[in-house]
Amino acid sequence: MATGAAPARFHRAFFVGALTIVAVLALWWVATTGTRWLNPLRLPAPSEVWAALQQILDRGYAGATLWQHAMHSLGLVARGFAVAIVTGIPLGLLMGWSRRAEALINPIFLLLRPIPALAWIPLAIVWFGLGDTGKVFVIWLTAFVPAVINAFTGVRNVDPVLIAAARTQGASTAQVIRHVVIPGSMPLIFTGLRLSLQASWTTLVAAELVGAFFGLGRVLNIAGQDIFPGMIIVGMVAVAVCGAATTWLLGLLERRVLNWRQAI
Amino acid sequence: MSEIVFRGVTKTFRLPKGGDFLAIDTTDLRIEEREFVAIVGPSGCGKTTLMRMAAGLEFPSTGSVEVGGRAVRGPGPERAVVFQQFALMPWKSVRENIGFGLMCKGTPRAEAEAAIAHYVELMGLAGHEDSFPHQLSGGMQQRVAIARAYVMNPAALLMDEPFGALDAQTRIVMQEELVRLARRNPRTVLFITHSVEEAVYLADRVVVMGRKPGRIIETIDIRPLRESEAWESQPIEEVMDRPSFTQMRSRIWKLLKAREAQNA
Repeated sequence: MATGAAPARFHRAFFVGALTIVAVLALWWVATTGTRWLNPLRLPAPSEVWAALQQILDRGYAGATLWQHAMHSLGLVARGFAVAIVTGIPLGLLMGWSRRAEALINPIFLLLRPIPALAWIPLAIVWFGLGDTGKVFVIWLTAFVPAVINAFTGVRNVDPVLIAAARTQGASTAQVIRHVVIPGSMPLIFTGLRLSLQASWTTLVAAELVGAFFGLGRVLNIAGQDIFPGMIIVGMVAVAVCGAATTWLLGLLERRVLNWRQAI
Repeated sequence: MSEIVFRGVTKTFRLPKGGDFLAIDTTDLRIEEREFVAIVGPSGCGKTTLMRMAAGLEFPSTGSVEVGGRAVRGPGPERAVVFQQFALMPWKSVRENIGFGLMCKGTPRAEAEAAIAHYVELMGLAGHEDSFPHQLSGGMQQRVAIARAYVMNPAALLMDEPFGALDAQTRIVMQEELVRLARRNPRTVLFITHSVEEAVYLADRVVVMGRKPGRIIETIDIRPLRESEAWESQPIEEVMDRPSFTQMRSRIWKLLKAREAQNA
C-alpha cells in the first residue's frame, strides 16, 4: 500500500534517471559531433542515426520499412512464446504434480537442457529453411525451458497444508489442481514467463542474423554488411523497444492475474 | 452419530537412517458425540498425528480410527479441520475461502451465500468479506478458518493448535469465542494444544499425553468442576483465577512433568 513518502521518492528517482539519460546523450553528441573524438564509422553521430531512422521509416531498408520489420519480428516472438506457454506450462504442472510424470519426462529434459537454444539454429534451418517456421521453432525451444522449470517448481512450492485443507473440505483432485495448485504456482510461472520472453528476443535476433528475409535481425545483418553504423543503432534500439514493450504487456497481465498479491 | 473412536492405534515411522520409530504406542480413545476433548502434551507426543488420523490425512500403522461408526479412509467434509497455520488460500477472498467447501460440494449459490453470511456475522468478520487473507490480522485469519469449518456443518471438528500462532491477547479472545460458539453449535470436537490452561478452559475432558513413545497418561473429566462452578457464565480471566482452575492446571502440569522425568 502506498505510503505518503513513496510517490515523492518515485518522482525523485524518475528525475535522476531522466537526468542520467540526458547526460549520456549530451556526451554522445559532444564525442561524435562537438569534438569529433570518435570516428563516425565506429560510433555514428546522433544526426546520422536520425537520418537512418528517417530513411527506414519513409523509404525502407533491407526490403521493408521499420514498421514492417518490427511487426514481423514481434509476430515470430509472439508465436514462439505462445506455443511455449501452451506446451511448457501444462508440462511443468504435470511434472510438478505427478512424480511418475517427472520420472518419465525429466531424463529427456535433462538431456536437452544443456544445449543452448542458439545451437539449434543450424538444425532449424536444415529442417525448416530460412522462413518463419524455423524461427518459431527455436524461439519455442528457448522459451519452453524456463516455462517448464518454473511451472514445475511452482507446483512443488505450493504449501502442502493448503492442499490438505482443500481435501478436508471435500475438494476433488481436479478441484485441488484448479483452485490450489495452479493459483499457487502462478507467481513462479510468471517469473518463468519473464525469463522466457527475454530469451525469446535474444534467440529471435540471433536467428534473423543467421538468415532471414525480414525482421529486425535482418536489418542489423544488412546494416553490418553495408557498414552503416547509424542503421545498426536504429536496429538495436528497435529491438530494445520491442523487448521492453512486450515485457511491459506481460507485466500488465501479471498484475491482473496476481491481483491478490498487490497489497502485500 | 459422530463419535470419534481410536482403537488400538499405533504409528511407526521409518527413520531415514534405518530402523523404526514408535511415535504412538497402543492408544484407545473414544470421543462421544458432541463432546469437546482436548489433547495436551509436549511436542513429539503424537497428538497432532492422532488428529491427522481422524482427519484422514494420515493412517495408523495398526489399529483403527472410526468417526460416526465408519472407518476413516481419507479426508472428507464431514470432518472439518482447523490448522495452526490457518491454511487459507491467499488468492481467494474471505468469502471465497469460507465458501470453498460448499462450492466443492455443489451447494446452490443462494443457499451457500446465506450460510457464508451467517458465519461471517457470527465470527465478527462483517465488512471483511472481500478482503484477501493477508490483509487481515492473524486472529481474523483464524476466524475465517473457523467459519470455514463450521459452514460445512460438519459432524466432527478437528482443531490442531488453532490458537498456537496468535498473540496472548488475541488467543484469550478466541478461546472465549470458541466456548460461545461451541455452546451455540455443539459438535464433536477434538482439540489439540500444548497449553494446559487452554485445554482445561475449553474441554469437557482433557487427555494428557506423554512422549517416547507417545501414549495417553491420563484422562481428566473437567465437566463436574465446570458445571458446579458455572464457568461458562463468567469471563475467562475470572475462571482462570479460580483456585479450582489453578489446582486442575497444576495437577496436569505435574502429570506431564513426572512423565518427562521418567524419560530423562
